[in-house]
Amino acid sequence: MVNRKVAKVLTFRYKILAGIFLLLAAGLVLLPKYEKHEGIKPEELLSNAISPERYISTDELANKIINQDPSFIMIDVRNETEFNKYSIPNSINIPLKKLLDIDAIGYLNQSQYDVIFISNDHFYADQAWMLCNRLDYKNLRVLKGGINNWYLTIINPTKPTENMPAEDFELYSFRKSASMFFGVVYPEQLKVEKKPEVKKVTPKKVIPIKKKKKMPVEGGC
Amino acid sequence: MGPLIPNGVIPYEWNNIIAIIIGIVFGFVLEASGFSSSRKLAGVFYGYDFAVLKVFFTAALVSLIGILYMDYLGYINMEQLYVHPTYLWGAIIGGVIMGVGFVAAGFCPGTSLCAVAIGKIDAIVYVIGIMVGIFIFSELYTIFQPLYEGYFYGNITLMDSFGINRYWFVFVFTIIAILAFVISDLIRKRRKKIFY
Repeated sequence: MVNRKVAKVLTFRYKILAGIFLLLAAGLVLLPKYEKHEGIKPEELLSNAISPERYISTDELANKIINQDPSFIMIDVRNETEFNKYSIPNSINIPLKKLLDIDAIGYLNQSQYDVIFISNDHFYADQAWMLCNRLDYKNLRVLKGGINNWYLTIINPTKPTENMPAEDFELYSFRKSASMFFGVVYPEQLKVEKKPEVKKVTPKKVIPIKKKKKMPVEGGC
Repeated sequence: MGPLIPNGVIPYEWNNIIAIIIGIVFGFVLEASGFSSSRKLAGVFYGYDFAVLKVFFTAALVSLIGILYMDYLGYINMEQLYVHPTYLWGAIIGGVIMGVGFVAAGFCPGTSLCAVAIGKIDAIVYVIGIMVGIFIFSELYTIFQPLYEGYFYGNITLMDSFGINRYWFVFVFTIIAILAFVISDLIRKRRKKIFY
C-alpha cells in the first residue's frame, strides 16, 4: 500500500510532469545564447597557418605542371578580366567573391586533389585559403608570391651574374627551360645553329659465320 | 562529441547491433504499454483512449528538449543529425493512406509487428496487407515514380522553412502538447467508458 501522502502527490503526477516540461522548454528559451564555433578549432587553424606545407613555390608548381603531376588543381581567385589576360595554364577561375558559391564547393571541398590558390600577389589567395580552412576543407595550399612571382621567376627569370653560386645557375637553367615550356621564346633559340658536318662513317660489314650445330648425342650405351 | 557513430566514438560496425537492441527495447515498450491492442490504438480516433497521442507527443517532446539541451551543452552536434528529406505530395498522400489504414485496422506498421509477435490474428492480416501494398507499389513503381521522387524540398526543417527560433518553437510546441493532453482528457471524461 502506497503511503497516503505519496498517493496524494501522485494524483497530481501528470500536472507535475507537465510543469517539468514547461520549465525545461522555458529554460531553453531563457538560456543565454552564444555563437557556436563552426568549422575547425583555432588551435588547428593556427597549426595549419604556420605549417610549411601552406605555401608552394613557383618552381615547385612549374615542376609539377611540366611533369604532368595529376595530384593538384589550381584555383585562380582573381576576377575574370585579369584571369582572361593571363593565367597559368589549366588553372580554374573562381573569383574570391564567388568562393562560397555552390559551384565552387565541388572544386574546393574534396580530398582527392591538392588545391593551390593563385592570385596576383598571394594576398587574396591567402584570404581564400583562410576561408576554406575555416570551412575545414582539406589539402589547401597557396602559390607563394602569386602570378607576379610566377612572372618574375618562371616566365622572365633573371640571369645570374658570374659571381653567383652554381645553384643559381642551375635554378636559372631550370627556370629558363620551364619558361620555354610555357611558351617563352629566347633570342638564342631563333638562331639556327650550324651543325658541324659529321663525316659519315660507313660501318664495317660483318658477315657472321654460322657455326655448325653439333648434333646432340643420341643413343649410346 | 555526438552523434556517437559518425564521430567514431562507437565503431561503425556496431551500427546494426545497436539498431537491433533498440528495436527489441522499442518493441518491448510498445507491448508493455498496451500498444499491441488495436482497440487501444483506434481509441484515439473514437475518443475513448488517448494513450497513443500522449505517448507519442511526450516522446517527441522529451527527445526534442533533450537534444536541444545536449546541443546547447556541446554533447551533440545537431548539424550532423539526419533530417528526413521532404517529398511534399508523396508525404501528404502517403500520410492519408497511412491514416486511413490506421483508423480501419487500428495499427500502425510498428505496432502491427508488435501484435504479430504476440499472435494477434488481425495484426497478421494487417501485415499481409502491408506486404500486398508493398508488392503493388513496387510493381507499379514507374507510375508512382514522379510522385515518389517529385516535389522534393531537400532536408528541410520547420525552423528552416518558416525561419522560427527553434527554442521558441519548442516552447510553443510544449504548450500545444500540454493543451492537447488536457483537452483529450476532457473529451475522454465526457465519453461513456468502454471496456476493452
